[in-house]
Amino acid sequence: METLLEMRNIVKRFGNLVANDHIDFEVRRGEIHGLLGENGAGKTTLMNILYGIYQPDEGEIIFEGKKVRFKSPKDAISAGIGMVHQHFMLVPRMNVFQNIVLGYRTPHDPLINQKWVEERVEALSEKYGIDVALYETMMNLSVGEEQRVEILKALFRDVKLLILDEPTAVLTPQEVDSLFYALKSMTKSGLTIIFITHKLKEALKVTDRITVLRRGKKVGSVKTSETNERELTRMMVGRDIVLDITKPPREFGKEVLRVEDLWVKDERGNYAVKGVSFSIREGEILGIAGISGNGQRELEEAIAGLRKVEKGRIILDGQDITKKGVMERENIAYIPEDRIGVGLAPSLSVLENLMLKDFKKYRKGIFLDFGEMEKRGRELIEEFSVKTPSLHSSAGALSGGNIQRLILARELSRNPRLIIASQPTRGLDVAGIDYVRRRLIDAVMKGAAVLLISEDLDEIFQLADRIAVMYEGEIRGVVDRERANYEKVGYLMAGGLEVTA
Amino acid sequence: MRDIITPIASIAASLVVVGILLAAIGINPLEAYAVMFTSSFTSKFGLAELCVKTTPLIFTGLAVAIPLKAGLWNIGAEGQLYMGAFAASVVALYSNLPGYAMLPAMFLIAAIFGMGWAAIPAVLRAKFDLNEILSTLLLNYVAIYWVEYMVYGPMRGKEVYNFPYTDLFPDIATLPRFFGTRFHLGFFIAIIIAIAIYYLVNKTDFGFSLRVVGANPRAADYAGISRQKVIIYSMLLGGMFAGIAGMIEVSGIQLRLRPLISTGYGYAGIPVALLASGDPLLVIVSATLFGFLYVGGSVLQTTYSVPVAIVYVFQSLIVLFIIAGQSLRRRG
Repeated sequence: METLLEMRNIVKRFGNLVANDHIDFEVRRGEIHGLLGENGAGKTTLMNILYGIYQPDEGEIIFEGKKVRFKSPKDAISAGIGMVHQHFMLVPRMNVFQNIVLGYRTPHDPLINQKWVEERVEALSEKYGIDVALYETMMNLSVGEEQRVEILKALFRDVKLLILDEPTAVLTPQEVDSLFYALKSMTKSGLTIIFITHKLKEALKVTDRITVLRRGKKVGSVKTSETNERELTRMMVGRDIVLDITKPPREFGKEVLRVEDLWVKDERGNYAVKGVSFSIREGEILGIAGISGNGQRELEEAIAGLRKVEKGRIILDGQDITKKGVMERENIAYIPEDRIGVGLAPSLSVLENLMLKDFKKYRKGIFLDFGEMEKRGRELIEEFSVKTPSLHSSAGALSGGNIQRLILARELSRNPRLIIASQPTRGLDVAGIDYVRRRLIDAVMKGAAVLLISEDLDEIFQLADRIAVMYEGEIRGVVDRERANYEKVGYLMAGGLEVTA
Repeated sequence: MRDIITPIASIAASLVVVGILLAAIGINPLEAYAVMFTSSFTSKFGLAELCVKTTPLIFTGLAVAIPLKAGLWNIGAEGQLYMGAFAASVVALYSNLPGYAMLPAMFLIAAIFGMGWAAIPAVLRAKFDLNEILSTLLLNYVAIYWVEYMVYGPMRGKEVYNFPYTDLFPDIATLPRFFGTRFHLGFFIAIIIAIAIYYLVNKTDFGFSLRVVGANPRAADYAGISRQKVIIYSMLLGGMFAGIAGMIEVSGIQLRLRPLISTGYGYAGIPVALLASGDPLLVIVSATLFGFLYVGGSVLQTTYSVPVAIVYVFQSLIVLFIIAGQSLRRRG
């Protein structure tokens, strides 16, 4: 196969950080090329350079045999490169048709040749098996459908090379399958695809070749058919990490949390949680699977005491805590999804963030005993190996993994009875994921109950004893892990009705 | 991370811009700055005046700085100062308290009125999320016109030849002065309070809550810190100090109530607090800088007939440069 794209010796610096360190990257025509690496490895930076969003500090790009220089995405698009970002760039109030033609000159410009567009979209849909309702408003579409519009928008512009940045992050397993199917059929008709991901399984499933980046450097390129998960992990993190930690079996104790017919509203005053009931026992992890935005956040905030309960009861260790404030729910640890926006005061110091919930306990007379607080703070960063220049550096300057360790240190050190962990490993690198999961398992083996809310099905299947699926504010079926399978859970996540197996 | 480059660069940039303005009207800026400096720092009277101007600025600086720590903008120190001055004047003129009780009573009542005036926007903000910038700003006019009405009407003195003044306070209602100058006890009170507030903000659990709310209100909710309480208490404290500033001005300098008791001290509290990035001890330093501008500004007026408004130009420039500097830093 001939070479379509070559990026040679690409260097990109942001201040002191070298995001791309002399990277060579080569893509052949008609392949699906996986770009694999942990968060912060430089994948998106490299692709943003290719797409003209950033200018490289060094290096050159050769596309279709010619040396090119893209000053903006406009240049990249006219050369035949399209990119679907992690966060979609669509106008929600417009319909699919308008979003597709936005910025494109159809024949008879400045008039929009509607018939021409319709025919073209129809032809593309048929060719690649991508269905969209052309006159539906974007707001009414699901995330999967939005993504199809993004892809169609790129295809409509005659791209030769399509970059997909973490395209599966927001999809249900079924949607992932149909995306992969569409990608395969695109390459059959000569299109080339770069698939950015940090998920090994997906990279192995859909790509032809894989390039691995680590800390801004290229580790190597391999043929997908000649590699395996273990080798890729080693390339990604530089050592073997056993990623399949599973929770060891344990007797379940007393019931810790019981939620009865809970109704909670969202910011706009609509019910986001609609009559949810479940319970968790000592030593048990209940996993709540589901695509974000189906009421998980409202549910966890209600249990943590941050959101008013409209109806129903929350019972912790036999006590009704429905109306109690956060301070009175000391036995609940909460690892929020939005770590920096909710779980952290980024401009305050590491020490102050560690003490966010406990500072009142260090009162001595009218003053706080900072000596005692520092002593405890040092113990905590030691125990949870939070890497920070000092206790007094600002918490916002820590890396994502260390921020999560800081939050774990604060929350788990209080010996909670219940731990609410929301997307606890999202955006972390392999080592960070490993650490967080071990800590949660540790806590649960010591007798805590865990409510694990995650979009990552692997995580749910590895950790949870029972799995519940949340869809549009309702819990769809709670099953034991042994009896659950991906297809069934995925079906429920996508809004399928409960199936009694 | 304390940012010290932004305030220093802001002062320098403001000096340059004001220098250009001075040069444009034919005054050598270096010479003018030298005159400002020598007149404030090299004589007993200069230094005394410097302290006289600095005292209310420390109070109003604190009045802005404390709410600022909680992420609130108290633009109402001016009005709170007027209400404090008004209340203290009422006690001074009509209470007939014995000498030992007079000043403490004036102090207390001024603090309460300043707090009360700040309580209105504080409660509106805490309960109904009403923007405190607007409510504090607008209440300034109410307070200023209230004082004006009182001195033109009910409180106008008998021995003032129809000027809109009250009578002079009795001696027991005036702050002791020293060294044969206008330098008065208020200066020491200001310094002591600023130090106390430093400890309050940095060493107590209330201060801790204050800083968490200011750094990230959602993290405060998450940690179970009552945001409403922090909003109300910080505004009340702010209002209290602005009210005290009013009392100190009338009983230390004016010795009576009249319109325009404050030449914008309340508003100047905003750049004072910003320049100190809300740190109560640094407020003393930045208040001194602004006190110097007031004294130096009036010297410029007498020496070069430059309108004293140049001081306000300088103040505004500092605010603009600090805000610009902060937003530049945020963008990295």
